[in-house]
Amino acid sequence: MSKLEPVRLMSASGQLGYGVLKPAFERGLTHEPHMIGADMGSVDPGPAYLGMGKIATDPEITRRDLTMLLEGARGLGVPLIIGTAGTAGAAPHLDQVLDIVRAIARDRGLSFKLASIRADIPKERVLTALRAGELSPLGAFPEATEADILDSPHIVAQMDEAPFVAALEGGADVVIAGRACDTAIYTTVALMRGHDRALATHMAKIIECASLCCDPGGRDSIIATLDGEGFTLDCMNPDRHASPTSVAAHALYEQGDPFTVREPAGELDLSHAKYDALDQHRVRVSGATWRDMKPSLKLEAAAPAGFRCAFFAGTSDPRVIERIEEIWAEVRKVVAGLTGQDAENLLRARFYGLNGVVNWPTGPAVPPREIGILVECVAPTREVAKSVITVTKQYFLHHGFPGRLSTAGNLAFPFTPPELEVGPAWRFSLHHVMQVPDPAELKTLFPITYEDL
Amino acid sequence: MSRVSEKSVSRRLADVARIVRSKNAGPGLLTIDLFFNSEADFKAAVAAEGLGAESVAARYGISANRVRRIPYPLANAIKITMDRPVTAGSPGDGDVYGAQQHALLLDVEIPDTETR
Repeated sequence: MSKLEPVRLMSASGQLGYGVLKPAFERGLTHEPHMIGADMGSVDPGPAYLGMGKIATDPEITRRDLTMLLEGARGLGVPLIIGTAGTAGAAPHLDQVLDIVRAIARDRGLSFKLASIRADIPKERVLTALRAGELSPLGAFPEATEADILDSPHIVAQMDEAPFVAALEGGADVVIAGRACDTAIYTTVALMRGHDRALATHMAKIIECASLCCDPGGRDSIIATLDGEGFTLDCMNPDRHASPTSVAAHALYEQGDPFTVREPAGELDLSHAKYDALDQHRVRVSGATWRDMKPSLKLEAAAPAGFRCAFFAGTSDPRVIERIEEIWAEVRKVVAGLTGQDAENLLRARFYGLNGVVNWPTGPAVPPREIGILVECVAPTREVAKSVITVTKQYFLHHGFPGRLSTAGNLAFPFTPPELEVGPAWRFSLHHVMQVPDPAELKTLFPITYEDL
Repeated sequence: MSRVSEKSVSRRLADVARIVRSKNAGPGLLTIDLFFNSEADFKAAVAAEGLGAESVAARYGISANRVRRIPYPLANAIKITMDRPVTAGSPGDGDVYGAQQHALLLDVEIPDTETR
């Protein structure tokens, strides 16, 4: 194993489209990595982007980042791999990113073979899994229904490196993928060169967040050098240092369990991972192990949850603050009666200063001087949401209660009109594992398209 | 809670921990990481009754079998993972990233174990 040629993998960004930091990226290029990668998405920003097919990042910054990476990779003649294109990695996200890539190639006179990999799973395939009992929710997520599947405009699965490997073997210089495991971006080239899956996956899991594993954590490019026994982490910003503690601590980040990472083909076990300082700036990592498991895919989908209208207001009146829950219950009852709608269930309020952020078990020792009030109505239609929120606003403003001091109005509105049409509300409808009884399907589910630019 | 032994001192988690952070680990899970400056503080926190699954569950208003606590000595850290009462971003969720759910733990008492 130790005869393996070391491979250098550069993570340019853990969130492409929010601004890749140029000095560290350019420094990284001088290390001549064997590939450049970037992750572009996640479920973190919530279900709306996946449901609506929208990209969360700014189009101009996204274009700037992609230009930097395309020119860097083409300059070195090494593969560029982008995972989870356009925030959520469904067809519309991928298509928007591909359009940007084509425009950059044209404007900058770049020529390369582009491979795009789709991650959309046909509804029929998911329904089959549901009926066969091969679809199980992750964690506390509810069981899926047929409606969850049918109502979701896009269902994506996280691909592992198999389709990426196929794309590079097919001659691609640049691979832009839909929803993908963050790790696949970096394990692809390592595995193609014969490296150990456990070490490669551990390495990939760390560098997919760029230099977040450093102290202080940041967003600069990082390079991992993987050999037969382990890998070395080298942040391309000289002021951010990888230390054994900072890298070990990164295993906790956004992970339910710091010792195991589930991937489509198996599980990474970090129980025996070792982190040693190589010098003041670099860390050497080894010891991860891998268990093959029955192949499965992580599915994600979002479905419409209604139309959302809202208003924001504040109050400085101690009597209103003291009785806010009571007042709110009474207002909802009045609104339900007036509109004939199920206002008790359609309306929600958050009282910032009291319980807007956290569901505190008890009230504050001293009542706050002011509170912010966010009222939202998520209703089946825009018309109902609009009508309910409008009536609610007015009755909340003028609701009378015993001992009221400020009889001209309970609320302060910071703008007019106070009612906002927020737009469609979304919910995650699938966050499930789908068994894939035939491993060959892991390739066919993610079709690759090539084009010469 | 019989900790009236002479020299035992209790500090609050906010005063002992270096970092207390919360975040989603996928849309259905909330994960809270507590980092400590020293092995002594880490051990005191691991021993603290207030950071046990039962007590944490009570604070968050969920049942104890929905809370998992994992000590992580490599980083003098404790991970607490729990099921989210509302899926991230669904109507009714007030914290899409789950980044502000740590505050319920800040006043948990961490008894000093060294005097025992």
